[in-house]
Amino acid sequence: MGFFLEVLIGGLLAGVLYSLVALGFVLIFKASGVFNFAQGAMVLTAALALVRALDVFEQWHWPFGVALASAFVFAAVVMAIVAWVAERLVLRKLVNQEGIILFMATIGVTFFLEGMAQTVFGADVYPLNIGLPKDPLFILESLFDGGILVNELDIWAAVIAGLLVTGLALFFQRTRIGRALRAVADDHAAAQSVGIPLNQIWFIVWLVAGLVALVAGAVWGAKLGVQFSLSLLALKALPVLILGGFTSVPGAIIGGLVIGAGEKISEVFLGPSLGGGIEIWFAYVLALLFLLVRPQGMFGERIIERV
Amino acid sequence: MASRSRSFNQVLLTVENISLSFGGVKALSDISFDIAQGEIRAIIGPNGAGKSSMLNCINGFYHPQQGAITYKGIRRARMRPHEAAEQGIARTFQNIALFRGMSTLDNIMTGRNLRMKRGLFWQALRVGPAEHEEIEHRKVVERIIDFLEIQHIRKVPVGQLPYGLQKRVELGRALAAEPELLLLDEPMAGMNLEEKQDMCRFVLDVNDEFGTTICLIEHDMGVVMDISDRVVVLDYGKKIGDGVPDVIKNNKAVIDAYLGVSH
Repeated sequence: MGFFLEVLIGGLLAGVLYSLVALGFVLIFKASGVFNFAQGAMVLTAALALVRALDVFEQWHWPFGVALASAFVFAAVVMAIVAWVAERLVLRKLVNQEGIILFMATIGVTFFLEGMAQTVFGADVYPLNIGLPKDPLFILESLFDGGILVNELDIWAAVIAGLLVTGLALFFQRTRIGRALRAVADDHAAAQSVGIPLNQIWFIVWLVAGLVALVAGAVWGAKLGVQFSLSLLALKALPVLILGGFTSVPGAIIGGLVIGAGEKISEVFLGPSLGGGIEIWFAYVLALLFLLVRPQGMFGERIIERV
Repeated sequence: MASRSRSFNQVLLTVENISLSFGGVKALSDISFDIAQGEIRAIIGPNGAGKSSMLNCINGFYHPQQGAITYKGIRRARMRPHEAAEQGIARTFQNIALFRGMSTLDNIMTGRNLRMKRGLFWQALRVGPAEHEEIEHRKVVERIIDFLEIQHIRKVPVGQLPYGLQKRVELGRALAAEPELLLLDEPMAGMNLEEKQDMCRFVLDVNDEFGTTICLIEHDMGVVMDISDRVVVLDYGKKIGDGVPDVIKNNKAVIDAYLGVSH
């Protein structure tokens, strides 16, 4: 039992990181109906900007706290520029085009960002220390023999994700811009008619998605080091989205948790009988099953077409 | 009710020689008319006459290739819909365009969007001046809800409401912006008699109580002749009549357009 819980908790905490990436997709999809393939590349760009700026500031012997805060600000500015350029040069030109065309455009943005980020910031693997403790931790020692081993960094990641989601929820539910975002998601023309400027809203959505990418990049980078494979996180977020629904923020979170936990549990408990490596394909098979049974995901809006 | 004879002297909006085409299709050709401050102005015409295109030009969804629109004495350059909204033009749509996932209350609150000024941070936390502001806007919205008699559906997501009520919520959202010029695209289409009478009453009350200038497109001739001060008639993108309802009723070109001409 103790071992099962340990695997489960480890899986859930890994799932939090999937949720963070999936969240960026959901934000843009909800507000503009665009499936933004570039979200993974945005995670990479943000993480690279963060780690390289931090290196530079530390070389200048700034105190760690100041250097870290400045590096986050720098990376946030980089993401703001990315959002602005994406809106100006890509989205604005493609208003009212088919979803598939916008999707292709985001693939273009992906390649551009990957190339640009690595050209500007370098293409090596950079260790990232954002001051989060990495020590293994034993919890619940009184309940189970030897306690349950968790990674402290993972717990911090969960806390950060929780704060981020709370912040986003407040932003979406309570503010004027949040209400405008939900309005744009529902109906473009009506939103414009009540005085909501589409271009500005799209910039804000991409900016928020960029900041979510920054948080995801910082946490993943702290765990695995900042490297090109961060960009491939986009692929891991896909099954999360299929599970949770493309339009649901809670769906992205629960989808991430289910996939994270499912991967680890299946690897540990089914692995010996099926042969290892389940972790790699588990998410995709689960997504496939979901597509057969409930294509809109757990929390997505049911698609009903009048015939 | 007989047609109303009121006189207006101040012009709010002038449309001069507007032409609009989509590729080879001429939607509007050389249309001119004006809307006076405080009047109820109807645009009528058979299907495909260009009525909705005309409204879309006025609120900036379409940009006519030729001609000019002068609003409040200022000749308007190419304008986008949100800029039109900022200048006090609100509208409803022929096919209801509500935010389906949101409640009635939230839908109408979006109409207050332009009038909210407090910083995002304070809004998110709902403290201090932002809370005060939110409450002020809620008061306005509640007044509109009372006015339109939709108290019982305040918290219902609008996607679940019947058609007639959705039309009413859409009117509420337009009113929430406290517009000077209200554009209504077939506010009574698809309604039964009772719903139509309610809607007529709301339109007249808005015009009387708030002094809002209204430009509406409507197919029900009884309604148009009853409530409007002046009527513009379009057919195949051309203006074929313009005047008070009594004149329009007896206009030969208008009768021909509606009833057809024998050859």
